[in-house]
Amino acid sequence: MARILVIEDDVTTAREIATELTAHGHEVAQVHDGQAALDMAMREPFDAITLDRMLPGMDGLVLVERLRERRVLLPVLMISALSDVDDRIAGLRAGGDDYLIKPFASNEMAMRVEVLLRRRQQSSESAILRVGGIELDLIRRKVRVEGEPVRLLHMEFRLLEFLARNAGDVVSRRIIFEQVWGYYFDPGANLINVHIGRLRKKLDRPDKPSAIVTVKGEGYRLDAV
Amino acid sequence: MLSEGLRFRDIRNTSTFRLTLLLGLVAAIGVVALLGLIYGLSARELDSRSDRILRAEAARLEGIPRDQLPDHIRVAIHRSVSGLNYYGLLDREGRPLAGNLRGSSGFVPGHVREIAGRSGRHGPVRLLAVRTAAGETILIGRDITPLVDLRRRVFEVLAFSGVAIALLILIAGTLLSFAPLRRLGRLQRSAHKIAAGHLEERMPILGRGDELDLFAGTVNTMVDEVGRVVSQVKAVTDAVAHDLRTPLTRVRAQLYRAGQQPDISPLLAGKVEAALADLDMVLERFAALLRISELETGSRRAGFHTVDLAALARAAIDLYGPLAEERGIALTLEAADGARMFGDDKLLFEAVGNLIDNAIKFAPAGGRVGIRVRSAGDGVRIEIRDDGPGIPADQRKAVLRRFHRGAGSEEVEGSGLGLSVVAAIAHLHQLSLDFDDAKPGLIARLHSPGR
Repeated sequence: MARILVIEDDVTTAREIATELTAHGHEVAQVHDGQAALDMAMREPFDAITLDRMLPGMDGLVLVERLRERRVLLPVLMISALSDVDDRIAGLRAGGDDYLIKPFASNEMAMRVEVLLRRRQQSSESAILRVGGIELDLIRRKVRVEGEPVRLLHMEFRLLEFLARNAGDVVSRRIIFEQVWGYYFDPGANLINVHIGRLRKKLDRPDKPSAIVTVKGEGYRLDAV
Repeated sequence: MLSEGLRFRDIRNTSTFRLTLLLGLVAAIGVVALLGLIYGLSARELDSRSDRILRAEAARLEGIPRDQLPDHIRVAIHRSVSGLNYYGLLDREGRPLAGNLRGSSGFVPGHVREIAGRSGRHGPVRLLAVRTAAGETILIGRDITPLVDLRRRVFEVLAFSGVAIALLILIAGTLLSFAPLRRLGRLQRSAHKIAAGHLEERMPILGRGDELDLFAGTVNTMVDEVGRVVSQVKAVTDAVAHDLRTPLTRVRAQLYRAGQQPDISPLLAGKVEAALADLDMVLERFAALLRISELETGSRRAGFHTVDLAALARAAIDLYGPLAEERGIALTLEAADGARMFGDDKLLFEAVGNLIDNAIKFAPAGGRVGIRVRSAGDGVRIEIRDDGPGIPADQRKAVLRRFHRGAGSEEVEGSGLGLSVVAAIAHLHQLSLDFDDAKPGLIARLHSPGR
């Protein structure tokens, strides 16, 4: 469970974000304007922030800059009603960790928060990542499944690494495309599916169910099997 | 377009240079005509003066009795005054009787004739023949070397001043063209900045009120207007984005929440799921439309940098290769190293990726999709070729229209905005997007204009 600060001026949207994050087992505090948000973030301990880009009283960009100036290094998911082209760059440059554009799907938003929380937990991690029988050596960039070495291409390794870092959580195609490939457009349903399919073929063992689970309409999840 | 450094070709093309040249040419013709007239008149004056001397001498000799004539001629030759140094007396048959002239033909009595000089023997000579009452001919010649020299000198002065005037005109034309050309260069640089999306840029005005100032002023007014319209469009887009996106987020969230209720009936759950899917499609199109209008404002050009297109195409092959392989399509790349352009790599990748995705969708199972990247002159050319059904020639423009769904695409997923996004990205990069027949199949081409 994590404590999350939701900064959003639209009360209904704030409530929906809070409900979704609560459903994912987190504790949520809401604030509706910039100054109150800054005070609260300075006063209370949180694990992550969701931040609306357009706030009364203070621009979300300014808010995130102030937080960073005051050494508040919590992961920040910026949520914006502006279009993505220049805004994403500005948001990430100001110190945001991820960027989501309205209108968004609540579950997608929650997934992104989970990814940010995971990233934070793993910042002082070991060089080996283990999920069930899958073992990733992050330094030598080698993979073993049930102790047997498996050869992966560069992007296959990065895809597996991303799934492994978020093991047990569903990640959407869009998030995978952004985080693994670094592109911010809609890749279409098939493209990521095919890459996941290839990875599965290399990881799956005949006597076990596939470690990569497809969650219909949502995305993929790596399970310990 | 003006080159970076001033070249003579640029100067030669300016109107100042041409005007100077034209006026100079008229002036030169005038000067040449004047000098020619002076030359002609003075040459004639000099000739007639020399002829008068010849005739006076002839009249003197005619008055002398026949028997004394040879002696007089000898004395005259001996004295040789006023350059009168050639005399002759010929009999009726033209045989020389006295004097130092031998030539006997081609004389018309009473007329002066000019004989060109022979080197080593005599200089140029003007010769007068007079018939005496006895039927003999007296010849009197005058060496006109100084006269010919004078004529030549006048001609040389004329030719030299002609060349000097022509050179001066050329130099004046070039110097006079420099300033307007430099100004034009500055105007052109502003125009390029404006075209690149820097709508705050204005053309420099010197305040002289000349034609270039007037022109720059007109363009600035135009840019003000364009800037006003663009910022209006941007404001509307932002307002639409903000005012619609937040309520749409609420709608989606509440619908999603309703679907998550544990006591929901299966029928209702199905309806909610279908509604969410439809809503997501609407939202996706809405996002794509906003994205296109934002791309079209051109503000993203500020973040352009050099993009290696061969590397970009290789990354696209890595991404789309597995998709092609799954459909049994051979995906090939032919990329020239050094194909580079100024742009946004993420957007260019999106455009190329979108075209490859389309090609894979429309190529038949077991078909081929080929990507070719080349640099062409200062520009680039990216071609994506498939062997699918292609697009009929009369529909190739229509596919770029928003929401267009071509015949045969019913089975293929997509919002109908993909190519509009590609076209907007192409426009942002000053590239053209067009389609050609691959016989069979389609060639989608992104290229610098004219390449």
